[in-house]
Amino acid sequence: MLVARLRFMLGRGLKRKLSDYEENMAGLSSAFDSSRNLPYSLKRQLVLNMCLTKLQTYKMVVEPNLHRSVLIANTVRQIQEEMRQESSQQPVNVCNGIAPNPLSYPGIDSSGISLHLPSGSNQQESNGCNSWSAEGPIENSLLMVSDDDMSSAISSILKDLDFMEDISPPTSLVPAGDDEPKSPESTCLKLEDDRQDLKGAECVFGSFEISNSTSYLKDLAIDDIFEDIDTSMYDSDFCVPPLMTPRPPSSATEETLKTFPSCNSSSANNIPICRTDLSELDHIMEILVGS
Amino acid sequence: ETPKPPAAAAVCGGGGSDPVPAGASPWWAPQPPAPHTLRDMAGVAGGGGGGGGGNDFQWCFSQVKGAIDEDVAEADIISTVEFNYSGDLLATGDKGGRVVIFQREQENKSRPHSRGEYNVYSTFQSHEPEFDYLKSLEIEEKINKIRWLPQQNAAHFLLSTNDKTIKLWKISERDKRAEGYNLKDEDGRLRDPFRITALRVPILKPMDLMVEASPRRIFANAHTYHINSISVNSDHETYLSADDLRINLWHLEITDRSFNIVDIKPANMEELTEVITAAEFHPHHCNVFVYSSSKGTIRLCDMRSSALCDRHSKFFEEPEDPSSRSFFSEIISSISDVKFSHSGRYMMTRDYLSVKVWDLNMENRPVETYQVHEYLRSKLCSLYENDCIFDKFECCWNGSDSAIMTGSYNNFFRLFDRNTRRDITLEASRESSKPRAILKPRKVCTGGKRKKDEISVDSLDFNKKILHTAWHPTDNIIAVAATNNLYIFQDKIN
Repeated sequence: MLVARLRFMLGRGLKRKLSDYEENMAGLSSAFDSSRNLPYSLKRQLVLNMCLTKLQTYKMVVEPNLHRSVLIANTVRQIQEEMRQESSQQPVNVCNGIAPNPLSYPGIDSSGISLHLPSGSNQQESNGCNSWSAEGPIENSLLMVSDDDMSSAISSILKDLDFMEDISPPTSLVPAGDDEPKSPESTCLKLEDDRQDLKGAECVFGSFEISNSTSYLKDLAIDDIFEDIDTSMYDSDFCVPPLMTPRPPSSATEETLKTFPSCNSSSANNIPICRTDLSELDHIMEILVGS
Repeated sequence: ETPKPPAAAAVCGGGGSDPVPAGASPWWAPQPPAPHTLRDMAGVAGGGGGGGGGNDFQWCFSQVKGAIDEDVAEADIISTVEFNYSGDLLATGDKGGRVVIFQREQENKSRPHSRGEYNVYSTFQSHEPEFDYLKSLEIEEKINKIRWLPQQNAAHFLLSTNDKTIKLWKISERDKRAEGYNLKDEDGRLRDPFRITALRVPILKPMDLMVEASPRRIFANAHTYHINSISVNSDHETYLSADDLRINLWHLEITDRSFNIVDIKPANMEELTEVITAAEFHPHHCNVFVYSSSKGTIRLCDMRSSALCDRHSKFFEEPEDPSSRSFFSEIISSISDVKFSHSGRYMMTRDYLSVKVWDLNMENRPVETYQVHEYLRSKLCSLYENDCIFDKFECCWNGSDSAIMTGSYNNFFRLFDRNTRRDITLEASRESSKPRAILKPRKVCTGGKRKKDEISVDSLDFNKKILHTAWHPTDNIIAVAATNNLYIFQDKIN
């Protein structure tokens, strides 16, 4: 789903933002290379962000480069292992300039993940820690990159998801034309495992800009994951509203079933099916609870 | 001339070499020198021999092939360069799936200056882009590797491969034409039988030389992942092809079947941490091959030990230097190329920053390490960000195994003399392309005051990368592929 989101976002004209991001990353990378004062944890975070972004980009390609994916995934694993060891040794200390727990990084809510990360000037308010402001422009620019850029935020999301998972590798490697029958689902495998975790992350998607156009959803692979997401923001032109209002239980089910065929279309990616599936679930829940 | 015994591990700062294990299988005892090294190198190459310190090459520009345009067409980017066994033919493959073969001109007393020039001999389309409908993927036509077969008759044979399919091409000459057929006339039209009053014997008449390339075998559908290497066996009957996770053994005559000899694919792809990056057969022992990995290790396998060579006979790995550890340590340790020496006693590996020479008798560290562009070590994050860190550089030996060559950025390439320990950086550029002009050594300034003629690290053009180079099997002639141009340099004494 994250893949679908990213694809949608790029398609919606956020390529300009991505190129800004790339410029920022290039600036940050040279800062990494040239600065001796950059704290180790910040460097590590930067590398991790870059790795996750690359992996995310590779996921979008039909046939990602296996060699590169493996190298990057190993780097991510290595960094995560290091972070885990550190966090197991030290208590989480938000005000520590070398905050080992990535969840305590400024801009990342420990309760969930918020995309609207504070800008450089507000960072002090977000975690009430003065030490960050003393880090200087490089660290601020890192925040500003994270602030505006969805790729970096997605990276944070993936990273947090991994921590919730606690064991599995950061990404499933999509093999190029794997011959095992289960492998085409390997990308979906990880997503399905993350379904529970996405509940914690669902507020993220609330802040994504959704345009009124419904065509984008045709590109998305609609699957069960959407059940967890509150999609009331989707503005649909299709006349399914009656299903959303409470009704007498007995007739409701029949009506629901009757209404579906009319709104149904053959394409599984069509919006009506999405909405009606969700509405059906809501409705069934009401029925079950009501009875 | 026998190759010199290896010097003590130079840059690695190691001590003496490990003793050869008693009772070791005979093949890894020092071998008598291969035919290449027996040749009197001093006579042929004028100073390229394995003896003494007289290895001061003076490289001169010889030729450059390719468009001068600043605008480089993607299809013209050269993706592989390979001399044949005699060195008379030089093949290049490009991203557009084409193969261009150059032939060395014979010495001509009337035109002494064109001695040894390479001119186009044959051009053909080896691979076309394909579409895999089942997986909805496009298969690139880019030629990943070309390997020549040893010449056995008048025709020349080579193997060329893209990501998925290997093809055996026959390149043959036709310089005679038969004339005077009885049943058909010169146009090919059938003659009216009633008009034939006498029989004649067709005679062969000379014609303009025509070089024809025809595909003789197509080895397809054996690789799920992208083919990175092919290597012809010393038995001249079989060859191997390697992709990211598997290595297959083929017989040159048989296209509908191949044997899988290495398979490192884990049962669960999520456990994958290592891929195969290159593979090569031993030049003399037809049962031995090596393959390198993305973790910087090399495994040597003996096909006599088992059908599936998942267990290696030897495992080469250098312990990591903890002082140079960084986030990118694993990525830069990934080996991009592995090449046996002509003698078969050593092998060379190329990783992102260095070239290492290994003695096959010593697994725990290389005997020599050469830094290609150590100044990039402090730029690794930027190089990771722009993906340059994944560039796969190749390396090659000279005929006598006394020197090695590899490419770098900014169209620089590096040559190392193993005996004198001297190295030189040269540039493949149009500016230094006057005929027989001696190439000026280049130097990269790493910091502080930049001397005249030096170039600073930040001014390097990372889009101009020399990934593919080849050294003539006996003479001091080198071919360097710079994006869409092929440069040929010769040693002045030549």
